[in-house]
Amino acid sequence: MTIADLWDQRISAFLLSPSQFLATTSTESFLAELLHELRNDKTNDQLKVTKTLLVSVLLEHPTILCPSASVGEETALELLSVFSHTPQKSIVLKCNVMLAITNVIICTSCLNTHTKTAEDWLDLLFQMIQDINDYRCGLSQQPIRATACDCLREMETCSPGLLSQKLEALYLLKQQETTVLHQSYCLLYTLGLKNAIRILTNQKDVTDLEFKSILGGNEGFAWKSNQLELTSLPINMLVQVPRLTQGLDCKDLKSIMSLLLEESYLLMPISQSALLRELVEVVAMVPGLSRTLFKSQLLRLFGTADVSLMHATLFMKDTFTDSLFTTEDENFLLKRLVGMAQHPLLRITEKLFYMECILHFPENRPISSSGEESLPVLVTPRLAAFLHPTVFNDSATMLCRLNLLCLVHLEANEGEADKGIGFLFDHIMALLKIVDNDGSREVVVTSLRALFIFLMHFSGMEELSEKLIDKLCDMYSRHSRLAPNLIGLADRIQEHPRPSLVGQVAKRLTIHNLSWHLKVLKRVAKEGQITQRNTIYLLLNVLINSNLCERGNWQVGNAVLAVYRNLLDHPSIDQVFIELADLLQYISIQYDDTDIKDHARIYYTLLTNLSWEKLTGVLAKRLDGGRAKEPAQSSSESVEATGEVRNWLEVYQGQFQTPGFGSEVTLRYNLTHAKETDPLFDKVFTICLHFEPKDSNYAKVTDIHVPCVFRDRKSPEVKVKLKPFQPYPTSLCVSAMFTTQDGRSWHSRLPDVSVSFPEIFLPLPLPPNSSRECREQVFERIWEATASGNSDKSAISLFCFKPEDKSLADLIKTHFQGYLITDQQSERSWKVLLFLPPKCHILLKITQAEDAAQVSIATDNRELLPFLNSNRWLNRCFAGVHLHRSF
Amino acid sequence: MPNPWLELSTWPFQRTASYKLLLTELGLVDADKPYVEVRDDCARQHRSPAVELRLDGPGGRTLWPLLTFTQGALILACLPLVEAPPEPRPPLPSLASVSQGLALLSGLQDFLCGPGGKPEPDVLASRLAALPSVLLQVCPLGRPLDTPPPAGSVPAAVAPSPGGAQKQPAWKAGVHRGRVVVSVALTEKVRSMQYGKSSQQDIWDVYGMVMCKCEVEGVLPNVSVTLTLPPNGSPLQDILVHPCVTSLDASILTACSVDENDCSAFSGPYKFPFSPPLELFRLCSYTSQVPMPPILGSYQLKAEENHLKANVVLKLHESVKNSFEYYEAHIPFFNQNLMGSVEVKVSSGQLEVSKEKSLLVWVLGQKFPKSREAALEGTVHFSGTVAGPTDPLCTGLTAYIKLYFRVADAVFRYCRVDQHSVQVYSSAKPRIVTTRELVSSEYYIWNSTGDAPVSLKI
Repeated sequence: MTIADLWDQRISAFLLSPSQFLATTSTESFLAELLHELRNDKTNDQLKVTKTLLVSVLLEHPTILCPSASVGEETALELLSVFSHTPQKSIVLKCNVMLAITNVIICTSCLNTHTKTAEDWLDLLFQMIQDINDYRCGLSQQPIRATACDCLREMETCSPGLLSQKLEALYLLKQQETTVLHQSYCLLYTLGLKNAIRILTNQKDVTDLEFKSILGGNEGFAWKSNQLELTSLPINMLVQVPRLTQGLDCKDLKSIMSLLLEESYLLMPISQSALLRELVEVVAMVPGLSRTLFKSQLLRLFGTADVSLMHATLFMKDTFTDSLFTTEDENFLLKRLVGMAQHPLLRITEKLFYMECILHFPENRPISSSGEESLPVLVTPRLAAFLHPTVFNDSATMLCRLNLLCLVHLEANEGEADKGIGFLFDHIMALLKIVDNDGSREVVVTSLRALFIFLMHFSGMEELSEKLIDKLCDMYSRHSRLAPNLIGLADRIQEHPRPSLVGQVAKRLTIHNLSWHLKVLKRVAKEGQITQRNTIYLLLNVLINSNLCERGNWQVGNAVLAVYRNLLDHPSIDQVFIELADLLQYISIQYDDTDIKDHARIYYTLLTNLSWEKLTGVLAKRLDGGRAKEPAQSSSESVEATGEVRNWLEVYQGQFQTPGFGSEVTLRYNLTHAKETDPLFDKVFTICLHFEPKDSNYAKVTDIHVPCVFRDRKSPEVKVKLKPFQPYPTSLCVSAMFTTQDGRSWHSRLPDVSVSFPEIFLPLPLPPNSSRECREQVFERIWEATASGNSDKSAISLFCFKPEDKSLADLIKTHFQGYLITDQQSERSWKVLLFLPPKCHILLKITQAEDAAQVSIATDNRELLPFLNSNRWLNRCFAGVHLHRSF
Repeated sequence: MPNPWLELSTWPFQRTASYKLLLTELGLVDADKPYVEVRDDCARQHRSPAVELRLDGPGGRTLWPLLTFTQGALILACLPLVEAPPEPRPPLPSLASVSQGLALLSGLQDFLCGPGGKPEPDVLASRLAALPSVLLQVCPLGRPLDTPPPAGSVPAAVAPSPGGAQKQPAWKAGVHRGRVVVSVALTEKVRSMQYGKSSQQDIWDVYGMVMCKCEVEGVLPNVSVTLTLPPNGSPLQDILVHPCVTSLDASILTACSVDENDCSAFSGPYKFPFSPPLELFRLCSYTSQVPMPPILGSYQLKAEENHLKANVVLKLHESVKNSFEYYEAHIPFFNQNLMGSVEVKVSSGQLEVSKEKSLLVWVLGQKFPKSREAALEGTVHFSGTVAGPTDPLCTGLTAYIKLYFRVADAVFRYCRVDQHSVQVYSSAKPRIVTTRELVSSEYYIWNSTGDAPVSLKI
């Protein structure tokens, strides 16, 4: 690999993620290497390209590579020497180095603190731009001069006023330059002029002499003027435009301005628009200058096809309003904007931009001056009709037009509005018809967005919204895959008391596509105003008349339970109480999945034993999958409470950065003789134990060597280190090679070693001296993360039992001693965390109620639940009796 | 802080989080997933030229206003500088950098894709390789000064201009040396939606553009092009001109398509004085309302038992020259099985069944018959079992014919541009080349017996 390739790779790695790249090396050494390579004297084309690449790093990330002003200054100095040693003909490289020096000097505040390097660099730049019309250095060096102008302009932008005492010199240069570069000089001069005047507006009682002196300045750089931090904000962002005092003699300035305007035509459109904006700001700040200066340019600008020039014209309109634009001008400009917003030869993005400009059109007499969004009064329904959305528009254009038209018709007179709204309604219906015919994603999403925009504006028109909702329901009955879109829409229009969309949808549900329907029903169950009878009958029907219960799919069961979860705290639950109870009991008996059965049983118990108020209270606090708000609140509380306390979860998770951390389980065995063997084997030597995992859930186990095993001595301990990929119970085949006293080697198969589920448990891997508080915090954070349901792998489960012989505390001590996070016997609650390598957690919250104990289980690996449930491991732990039996 | 007007990344950006978010936003990843909340939420405003990316999910940090242009596999994006407090979010038009960003991206698109819009992969690769140095030139320190020159536009016979007495325009890298040639090409495109129903009004309009290539000596030579209309010709509306046009008469701009009762009707001549750049450029463009469409058509499609019966009549307007470069009527059938037997007769030209068996192509050739009328009649059977293409609009009897034609050396509305309308103020005698053409664009004739989607305005 050549040096160039090597650098290519390193630079790509750096640009992809500077912080990650610099973690493998230090900033200083990387910077040193960069500069060293740049100083390399060898020149060939390949190296030039590499060097340009290296410079681009400094250009794009100066603050990362030069974290302090001193490093910045040193780097700038180094780059200066690189610049002076780079041969004349390496133009591109030289230009890049110039830009990099400028960027480093600005970004590391060398400029603001007026360092020697910054001063030298400015002097050098200014010297470079003196070579007008390339008399001295020739045409080939023109790009260097252009770059010098760009660098100076950048420094003036970041340190406004820097050039304010050099305006006469700059003016002369601008006048004398006749090559294409006069654009650069022109922009540089205008920026300097604008900033100088802006600074002068801060001063009270400016005299004619002071005013004139800025135009005639031919001194050094003005280092102290950077106290004006806000001067770089354009005037349309300021509450009040700063102004010079009245009555100053503006004759010279006026002729300068006229000349600049006259020559603006020679600039590139983008630069021209920048120049015009600067000139507008100057005229706005100097009362002695007439706005009519711009009159000569207006027609040319009104007709322009260039988006940046049109935009600059609107800026002019915004700044000068009726002092430059008559009512006719204003009407004309707005009509042109409407025309351009639908012009067949403009690009879509430009047209979208012009539509934004119509929405924010700067009127001479705006109704509200508060800056809040309101449609310009000049945008009448008649004018806007030209922007009516059609089904042939692309998505963005259609939505943009629809939004505009909705705004217009909201403001319009009744008669006119009704007709207009009717058209929009027809348009929405046409869109929905298309959705009905073709379900492509974009069509569906765009149509629902359009519907949303319409409903947001005309939610008061019940008849129309009802029709739309009817149509949606109708569509849903044919295309149930629209469920997520419709749920999203329902969520969004929630705040508006509309005839409930989801309720209507529920009436059309059928057995097909059950998983979508369950999602819709879950959402429907949140609607307090909808009675839930239909939902319950549908579910009853589905569960009894299908093989759903026999199939025992955990996910489907969970989705059904999620509907119930929302039904349980529905305000009109009493109307369907019996049916709901029947259903829950049916599931708790018939559903072929223990976890689902248990859940259903809990819901049943809660439903039949608690009043509605208590029930909602319990649901809000305890059970998983509750209202979205509750967990959010509690987590923000805990953040507040911990305040500046360290985030232990981060500390905990940080440990896993260390390769191999917490990835192993060590199992200890004794290696003993089988009961009866040939005396030949009483003493065996150099035993090599070989383990072979029976499944792919575990990494290969390294062989274990034992020096000797004698029948009459203590049997040696063997530590088997297991590295699970998935922490499931497993078993290992074991074989041994060994030597007997007579020197012969033997191979023997040993009984399989089975590894049970609890054997893989480890205590929470935190440093040994971690406080209880820290362990609790980690527990709670993991619990929150798991309960939030953000990950599709996490799961929450519930288990209830009635302790029989032993007390609950004893049971916990027996089974979970090493894994206890908290043990608050007085409050009858315990928290247990089981860590399973490589990084799985099972969290238990055990509480004892009057006659039963409840275990809430959270895990970040749903696959582990069967091992807790199916094997009834928890049952065995607690020798439990199920809740439904105890009630 | 530096002043990065636009963050421009030319380095591999593929694996960054913002890139993934952008692709999600544009629907380019997970295209098969019907609903992705961050992308498909109905309340997300998807109607502005600026995209918003939420870097840390809802409520997190945002990247705004991200401007994007997508063309084929190419995504161009830039993030204009917001020179204002971020909250409350400033309106897009209050940010100077937005239009500059749009202009820069348009320029980059032209530079990378060239006039055809679809460059060969190796051509695109070489242009991409040149991008960093082009950006250095047009957008140093992230501040756009210029748009890159459109690909392939570097003119021959250009000498660099030494600093003379007259200032060289920044948009003209040198001066032309050699023969003086001015080429002016006027292209008019006509759009139409014809429904053949009294309840639905037919609509049509014309838009045109004048492309120029001027090889004229001098730093700032003066050239002018004048467009003239016949007596009673309808005025040119929504005229947009190239920035090189030096001055405009107010009356030229008055006509506007959104002005319904515009009686002031200035009808020319439209004079555009300008100083040309070296490359080919669009001098001006316009729209126009013409009294009649160049071709009137009717389309009747009826379902009969197991086939469709079609009847088409096309009529050429007398003002249009009856000499076409090409003329075809496409009759597609959607949401049907593939075509079986086709028993269709045409009075002129010939009929072809497309390979895909879902489209009839009626090639009318170079000329209409003397009567200026052509007809098609017959039945189409869909006996196949394989389903043809689908279309969400064209269900049931909703169907259309789309016309494709080009008439060279003729402009439908007689908007005239000829040798006499071009003036070049030059010492050498110029050679002037003018061409004009009329081309169809979005020209639909809907089945009058079915529902047609409403379009108030094209």
